[in-house]
Amino acid sequence: MSTPSTATNPPLVCWSCHERALGTHFCASCGKLQQIPQSLDYFALFELPKKLWIEMGGLEQKFLQLSWKLHPDNFVNATETERELSLKRSSELNDAYRVMRDPVARVEYLLAIEGARKEGEHKQQAPVELLEEVFELNESLDQLREAKSAGGDLAALKLRLEGAANNFAEKLKEVDGELFQAAQQWDAAIDAESAGAQNQPERDEIKRRLNELLNRRSYIRNLVVNVQKELL
Amino acid sequence: MSRIVGIDLGTTNSLVAYIDPLTKEPKCIPGPYGSTLCPSVASLDADGSIVVGEAARRRLLTQPERTIYSVKRLMGRGSADVQTELKLFPFRIDPNSKNVIRVQLGDKYFTPPEISAFILRELRNWAEAFLGETVERAVVTVPAYFNDAQRQATKDAGKIAGLEIVRLVNEPTAAALAYGLHEKQRGHVAVYDLGGGTFDISVLKLISTNEGDIYQVLATNGDTHLGGDDIDNLLQATVRERIRQEHGVDIAARPELAQELRKTLIAAKHQLSVDSTVDIRFPLPSDDVFAMPLTRAQFDEVIHPIVTRTMAPVTAALADAKLTPAEIEEVVLVGGTTRTPLVRTTVQEYFQRVPHTELNPDEVVALGAAVQANILERGVSNMLLLDVTPLSLGIETYGGAVAKIIPRNSTIPASAQEQYTTGVDNQTGIDIHVLQGERELAKDCRSLARFTLKIQSGPAGLPRIEVRFLIDANGILQVSAKDLRTGEEHSIEVQPSYGIGDAEIERMLEDSIEYAEQDFAERQLIEARTESESILAATIKGLAAPQAAALSVEERGKIEASVASVKEAVAGTDYKLARKRIDELNHATEHLAELLMNSAVSSALEGRKLAEV
Repeated sequence: MSTPSTATNPPLVCWSCHERALGTHFCASCGKLQQIPQSLDYFALFELPKKLWIEMGGLEQKFLQLSWKLHPDNFVNATETERELSLKRSSELNDAYRVMRDPVARVEYLLAIEGARKEGEHKQQAPVELLEEVFELNESLDQLREAKSAGGDLAALKLRLEGAANNFAEKLKEVDGELFQAAQQWDAAIDAESAGAQNQPERDEIKRRLNELLNRRSYIRNLVVNVQKELL
Repeated sequence: MSRIVGIDLGTTNSLVAYIDPLTKEPKCIPGPYGSTLCPSVASLDADGSIVVGEAARRRLLTQPERTIYSVKRLMGRGSADVQTELKLFPFRIDPNSKNVIRVQLGDKYFTPPEISAFILRELRNWAEAFLGETVERAVVTVPAYFNDAQRQATKDAGKIAGLEIVRLVNEPTAAALAYGLHEKQRGHVAVYDLGGGTFDISVLKLISTNEGDIYQVLATNGDTHLGGDDIDNLLQATVRERIRQEHGVDIAARPELAQELRKTLIAAKHQLSVDSTVDIRFPLPSDDVFAMPLTRAQFDEVIHPIVTRTMAPVTAALADAKLTPAEIEEVVLVGGTTRTPLVRTTVQEYFQRVPHTELNPDEVVALGAAVQANILERGVSNMLLLDVTPLSLGIETYGGAVAKIIPRNSTIPASAQEQYTTGVDNQTGIDIHVLQGERELAKDCRSLARFTLKIQSGPAGLPRIEVRFLIDANGILQVSAKDLRTGEEHSIEVQPSYGIGDAEIERMLEDSIEYAEQDFAERQLIEARTESESILAATIKGLAAPQAAALSVEERGKIEASVASVKEAVAGTDYKLARKRIDELNHATEHLAELLMNSAVSSALEGRKLAEV
């Protein structure tokens, strides 16, 4: 997960002609490609409001438009500074598109730029309401591993594990549904805000909820992946 | 800026193409023999110079220990990687080579990038002779599934050849560009590229926008050690076994004979793309002739496992692109091996669609490279190519596991940032190991680079370094670091695990000039001499054969006169005259060549040169 750099402020004048005529991507005065402005997060890059529902066709179009301008193919005969800038800018664009078109990565990114999720955060404790089932699952996994190394009968164990895995896959779907709902709440809050409402506590609450759901999702997903690996 | 040509640096053949200024169409440039295919073969001459292409290919038969083919299989690989290759190919590897292989030609050792550089130089010479101007920049194609080290090795070859490789383009993507221009296709396209040594499958989306056409690669997969070579090796193994059983001759122990058999079987393979049966005849030193009819059905059975091996990557690429076979609107076949009927029917059945084969599968990649070269020359004007990285990039974490930081099939350029800090007080360095591959453990992935991030000593946890991993538009890794407290940026010198250092490349560049800096005419003359050697030898042998008794006195006289004039011409310095005399001799010996062949196969070989019989 990458976040916009905060360590160095890009200059406020064009690096090439030194005019204060910066457009978003190119200098309005001399037309040279510019550093990515510090304020430009992925939503702003694609000229989107900071909402979680995105119309994919529009996102793709914007991505292709920007690719057309920023791609290194345009700068083969340019100066080294411009070539490097183009490499940087187009890689940032591709990274942004990769994140934005993946609904879960998009939520993670939103929380990161909102300061509600630390880099690499994945709480590895089991959600309380799942404790009992997780315990059972881990027991079955251990039994399967033992049976595998001892050469015992695997069929019955596998069947039980498959059942458990399906159960957790169901739960994953439930979490995705809840995540979708919370995302809708976030979008509604943003809409209300742009209509003039101020409701910071509600926004913080939604962020907390989104964060919790992401953690739960990654926990369950890991479980499912691990079980599937053992079943192979 | 100077012109950029497009080069297909293939396992079996290499080509160079340009955009014809009149027609605006890409065209392949012919070499001195008139063919656009330059066999990817290099040979070290007794006088210390390097011979490349058709002339070198002929030397495979006469001087196999000084000659090398299919060197692309060794690019970017360490000696531990190529052990299976060594069982199948007559590569003579320096036993002391480690992460960069050195191959023996005669009494000298060369790295695979040096040998590839000889081929690149040859193609540049073709282009310069044809275009009448110096050529310094090229777009070079690589298999889409090439990893970082293999790509780096290809770039190194360019440096050693003194040729600036402006961009590496993936072969199936280049083919899609050539086809797109030709057919004006839209929608989802699958490119199935089975060449001499590599297999790629790429799934693209072709999009029309107001600005122009976009070729977006959605997913790519493949096998960089699967191709026509493997078919040849299987066929050889089968036939060698038969010869051993029936005649007690061990072909493997005799390099000249092995090359002769390889050539015979490749010809048989080609014929089976057209005919349903072929008679393999192979003269043995004992004057016996090994004979074996081979039907296409039998051939299909032999090669079935190889064709089957291509289908797993096809399925994986479609899954990554989130498409079903039915959603693919066009299928394009690329690479000489797709002429094999079994390949065609297998692909057609899988996609339920007749694949495109309109463009010459040998030339299409080079043509696409020329299209991309033209785009780069002029800046994106009406076409844009968005390609992907074929393999996930990861870094080693605790316990030898790999954390994926750039997933496979990400559009390139792509990047990822990782923040590092220290775990103990006054720690002065952090070791970073970068890997490529899909497996979970570092030991199962390809090591790209290991380096130590230098850190000013201080309390644990205080330093904050952000390392940026970037895969550029060539699919090659670049690493830079930023001290987040001071904002200071550092570029990191990353010594690739399987690469050659810059100083070494510099030295190789100097050496290669020594090997290759003869002028065009001189090289032509050397080639003509080499060629004359084989045809003269074949003629003398032919005239002594009992079948030659059927020649008329007039015919025999003509041949003898022609032999004398060839000898005279190659002793001189006029390469054009030498070429002309050789062609005359080839012509004069056509009847003799026919007589020497068994009547059953002679019809198929009509018009063949004596040296090829």
